[in-house]
Amino acid sequence: MLLRGKTAVVTGCLQGIGRATLDLFAAHGANVFACCQAPSEEFSIHCAELARTHGVQIMPLYFDLLDDAALKQAAVAIQKTGMPVDALVNVAGVNKDALFHMVTMEQLRLTFQINLFSQIVFTQYITRLMLRHKKGSVINIASITGIDGNPGQLAYAASKAALIAATKTMSAELGPQGIRVNAVAPGVIATAMTAAVPSGGLSRLLARSKIARMGEPVEVANVCLYLASDRTSFVTGQVIRVDGGIG
Amino acid sequence: MLLSGKNVIISGTNRGIGHAMLEAFSANGANVIAHARTRSDEFEATISSLQVTYGNSISAVYFDLTDYSAMKAFVKDLMVRKTAVDALVNNAGITHNALFQMTREEDLRRQFEVNFFSLFLFTQQISRLMTRRQTGSIINIASSAGLDGNPGKAVYGAAKAAVICMTKSIAAELGANHIRANAIAPGITETDMLSSMPERVVVEAKNAADLRRSGKPSEIADMAVFLASELSSYITGQVIRVDGGLR
Repeated sequence: MLLRGKTAVVTGCLQGIGRATLDLFAAHGANVFACCQAPSEEFSIHCAELARTHGVQIMPLYFDLLDDAALKQAAVAIQKTGMPVDALVNVAGVNKDALFHMVTMEQLRLTFQINLFSQIVFTQYITRLMLRHKKGSVINIASITGIDGNPGQLAYAASKAALIAATKTMSAELGPQGIRVNAVAPGVIATAMTAAVPSGGLSRLLARSKIARMGEPVEVANVCLYLASDRTSFVTGQVIRVDGGIG
Repeated sequence: MLLSGKNVIISGTNRGIGHAMLEAFSANGANVIAHARTRSDEFEATISSLQVTYGNSISAVYFDLTDYSAMKAFVKDLMVRKTAVDALVNNAGITHNALFQMTREEDLRRQFEVNFFSLFLFTQQISRLMTRRQTGSIINIASSAGLDGNPGKAVYGAAKAAVICMTKSIAAELGANHIRANAIAPGITETDMLSSMPERVVVEAKNAADLRRSGKPSEIADMAVFLASELSSYITGQVIRVDGGLR
């Protein structure tokens, strides 16, 4: 129980890494504002079950990261509960991509809007709440492609690289106020997003992995769990690769 | 209890970070083989009281890591007893502060002898036990000085850089045997090593950290617990800075 009594905000909870993070945080005693793009009955039932199983509060929040007003409304809704937010995990992201020469301006704009601009704005809102009690942990899900690059993933990789730079800058600005900001850089993880990447690129990446398999979403969630907990109280401004040793 | 029933060897547990590790690993349910260079009543008393508090098993072993015959005798004993080793934490080390042009040949040799050669050989031997069981986690305590290079740390930093490079090679070679290898790079940490540094340097270093403080030994120990645990099952070949965000 590493997060007993803590409150976390997790985005992208519908599936994959976000869902694994939501489930794990609840199992570790955290109350979670579980953010999803669109309302779904399956999701609200899942949240209710999690709350009952673990004796925590799970509050579903639905908003699209492309909708600035909805984003702000969600932050206001969190603020109005009066619950002090201890951790924010920015998982939600998009991966619609193409080779460098084929990438369209539309793809670039969409990718950066979701993977960078909205992350920054949402984190601005949530860290203002954290500043009230001078404590908090922000975890941004980046990608090893944001460090290494990857053929066919120009927009995604560039947006994640920018997110990493934003992470370090936020750490520098918010560290003196007791807020830690770190990034997690997953490698090839068994998620729907990964399944959509052309398999040639993936097998090339996996061939470099020291642990000869894809990672599971929970293996990324485990790292988010530790970074959200007080056990990483001296870790900030870092990018932690969870990639089976690709790099 | 992240390490229930796991067997862990930690070197240099008498003081500082190693001492904090002894406590953190015990609190997380690990059975610990606690290495120290020399026996002391105080250390024995600490071990007894930790075992009472946490109900784990701690066995002390005493030898100088630069004494290869003593090291081999220890490892042979492990083999004879068929002791399963789940994790090895190479923490023992000595510090050195001197300007590059003032560094003596004997200090250069001594640094590499203690901080690198002995660590290398110890890991080589223990990893053979891990290979038999096809599982294990190796955690090397490096230093931010081994990544950044710092004034007065030419030798110490170089030895720690060697440790970091070795860690990556080990991860690459032993990944197929399901052995993970990672390094921790502490920044300014409140230990005897810190008190050996000039006050002015310590103040500057604290101000260079996003968190504007030095780290506690327990904060380094908590990262070692994480890397020894299954929470880090997809992390290998990494150097994780626990430095409060030095920049």
